[in-house]
Amino acid sequence: MSQDQIAILQRALKREKAARKSAEKILEDKSRELYAISQELKTSNLKLNDLLDEKSSTLKGIFENINDAYLVMDLWGNVLRMNDVAIDFFGYDIEKERFNVAEIVYKDDIEYTREAFKKLYEEGAFNNYTARIYTKKGDVKWLLINATIVYDKENKPIAAQGIIRDITFIKSLEEQKEKILKELEKRNEELYEYAHIVSHDLKSPLRNIDALISWIKSDNKDNFDELTIQNFDLIETTIETMETLISNVLEYSSAGANIGNETEVDLNKIVDDLKEFLFIPKHISVNKLNKLPTLKGDSTKFQQVFQNFLSNAIKFCDKEIGIIEIDYKENQEYHQFSIKDNGIGIEKKYHDKIFKVFHSLNKREDSTGIGLSIVKKIIELYDGNIWLESEPNKGTTFFFTIKIK
Amino acid sequence: MKGIVFTEFLDLVEDKFGLEMVDKIILQSELESEGIYTAIGTYSFSEMLQLVTNLSTNTGISTDNLLLVYAEHFFSVIESSYPGLLATYKDPIEMLASIENHIHVEVQKIYPDAELPTFVIEEKTENSIIMVYKSSRAMHHFGLGLMNKTFEHFNSKASIVLEKIKEDGTEVRFIVNKN
Repeated sequence: MSQDQIAILQRALKREKAARKSAEKILEDKSRELYAISQELKTSNLKLNDLLDEKSSTLKGIFENINDAYLVMDLWGNVLRMNDVAIDFFGYDIEKERFNVAEIVYKDDIEYTREAFKKLYEEGAFNNYTARIYTKKGDVKWLLINATIVYDKENKPIAAQGIIRDITFIKSLEEQKEKILKELEKRNEELYEYAHIVSHDLKSPLRNIDALISWIKSDNKDNFDELTIQNFDLIETTIETMETLISNVLEYSSAGANIGNETEVDLNKIVDDLKEFLFIPKHISVNKLNKLPTLKGDSTKFQQVFQNFLSNAIKFCDKEIGIIEIDYKENQEYHQFSIKDNGIGIEKKYHDKIFKVFHSLNKREDSTGIGLSIVKKIIELYDGNIWLESEPNKGTTFFFTIKIK
Repeated sequence: MKGIVFTEFLDLVEDKFGLEMVDKIILQSELESEGIYTAIGTYSFSEMLQLVTNLSTNTGISTDNLLLVYAEHFFSVIESSYPGLLATYKDPIEMLASIENHIHVEVQKIYPDAELPTFVIEEKTENSIIMVYKSSRAMHHFGLGLMNKTFEHFNSKASIVLEKIKEDGTEVRFIVNKN
């Protein structure tokens, strides 16, 4: 072997050795890297397992503990899984027997149910669907169902799951409520009619008595002494009071009736008309501090409200110069009105009482104790509030609001 | 460039021209690796370029022909190392057509830092395919060798014509017709 050949072989050997070492190093590094990665994978695998266990037990808990029935069924309605609530409720147990949801639908709801299920398959879910079913015992129950389609990995629908709530009791309550409401409405109508007839029937004998008394008075003008005449006058005033009372009762019974005849009502005109129509003594002045609004509502009812406030303020004025001020302001939710007087005032302890029927604080012939209760009823009809500020002997301010629509 | 390309190349050189030639071209080239290659390492492409150029000078065989022979040898490496990859194909034209979208994707998975040429398909029928090779390496004959062996692998024959789009060989059109 020549010297050259030996040198070539030596160099080749040296390269091979070096290559082997470098390969070993690369492999060593790789295997270290792989080891680290596998450790990491092991840890994260453990973590994932823990997480999966936790999720599974959470789900199992939900499945077993929800108060609603839970069902999983195939696309033909055969129930595949159900929780204990569902077994109790439907009366079927899939461990023991076949249970198909489509077969228990109440006869009148079959068509509707078919539509709902079509929608479920097309859209993947439905919410708050209600229908009736027969339980195994044969009872008819109302159900509220929320359902979703279960898809496989390739996004093909494979099943449907639903949470089902028994709303039979709520449904029956709803039906009862509707029945009661209808009955109440009928009763209210009857009551109003009754009040109308009674007041009409009561008024005609009163008018007869009134006529008879005036006849007796004029027939016996010369025979009656002073005291008897005075008593007859008292009878006449009492009859008048009684008539007013009857009229007011009728007014009160109709004040809470539904708002009919809704028009745009200019409250300035209402107040101006009242100033003409009411008897206002010369020493009392009625002023508007602000322009009043035009509201949508029943003009008779608005008139009743202002008439009651103004006539009260006039009635209970004990000052030499009486001042009545009507004010108005508006906020985001309410129109707010106030009627202020400088009359006799009302003691604090009566502030609630005055809005109750037949609570007149002053025994006066022209006061029946119904006016403010009518006002309160009307204001409540317009979703408003009423209250007052008052100091005995100084005056009273009534406030009321009407909700902005 | 993957070390296996170097080790296989040097094995082929030793096989065809003897150990002296291997020693000679390594000594003639300025190699960062000093000619120490392992199949699992990664080395600079310029080293391969120098080795091929020096082999061409010493043997009088053109670099294109050297690359062609080397590629034909290299195909057998693929056959034995990645039989699964070849098994997914039933037809050589299909296999060529999927270089870009399948084979190179798989290669990148195993060798994330591999720098691969692109093959853009211009035309394809059941029995023919025209594709444009693009690579700064200008190793189109390496591609040609692999293609020859691909047809052989499927017991089929083809005429493959190369049209240089760029003179330096960085862009070449392959017109392949199955016989």
